Amino acid sequence: MPEYLETTVDKFTFQVATDRLYNAEGLWFKEEGERVRLGLSDFLQQHSGDIAFADLQPVGTELIPGDLLGNIETIKVDMELASPISGKISEINPAMEDAPEIINQDPYGAGWIFTIEPSQWEAERSGLLDPQAYFIQMKAEAKQEATNL
Amino acid sequence: MTKNQDESSPRKVIIVPCSGIGKTYGSVSREAALELVEDLRLGQAQLVPLSLLVMGDEDSRSAIINNPTVTIDGCKLACAKKMVQESGGTVAQDYAVLDVYRRYKQFKPQGIAELNQGGLELAHALAEEVAQVVDELLGDENG
Repeated sequence: MPEYLETTVDKFTFQVATDRLYNAEGLWFKEEGERVRLGLSDFLQQHSGDIAFADLQPVGTELIPGDLLGNIETIKVDMELASPISGKISEINPAMEDAPEIINQDPYGAGWIFTIEPSQWEAERSGLLDPQAYFIQMKAEAKQEATNL
Repeated sequence: MTKNQDESSPRKVIIVPCSGIGKTYGSVSREAALELVEDLRLGQAQLVPLSLLVMGDEDSRSAIINNPTVTIDGCKLACAKKMVQESGGTVAQDYAVLDVYRRYKQFKPQGIAELNQGGLELAHALAEEVAQVVDELLGDENG
């Protein structure tokens, strides 16, 4: 079980799992042997709303930074997910087909989206944020959102 | 016996949609409820606004206690379902617009005050589904 950094803004509580890296857009990346597991941060999934559909690139898709990983459609927004790392999609969470709402229910666990076999991981991981850095950024975004309401 | 229901009045199915203003899926729920009570099952289904239940309106509360009730929620908070239960009613069938949309992916709802064509078609599909439930509920009671 991961440990979490946690903050409450207005009536919403957001968690950041401390056992993985993040990009500025709110994707998380967890190194697992030769693969990297990927999903949405708690803040991103709460901010985006209930997920209706996940249309994802198929297993085997070769990626370079900036390539499209897929589209997530929620009750509020349509999100295009871009990969910040190079590699190949090696696995897609089977739940994404029929029950993508699992991302909302368990964003850091059963709601993972892909695993990727990275090809430039050592170089590209340095461009990602550690949990503390993402936590600071996320808190600022959440507070800004609350101010705008 | 309730204030709005005497012995000669047949039971109706009460429809309680989402009250979320400014939300596309809430608008779909209300559009479906209106089509149902004003067109598809006129006289057999009756709309009770969620806001009246929240305010403790006695006629609305009696309606949901004494008739089978279908709730149509716009999001996972399920305010309509929870409010009917908290008001003493029994939810015969509950719908969430998002779940319905997953079955009709071709009808993508957009807009709030005015739904787009996809939203109207999704509302119609939802209303047709609820109409079948109304028939079943009233059929069960009549036969």
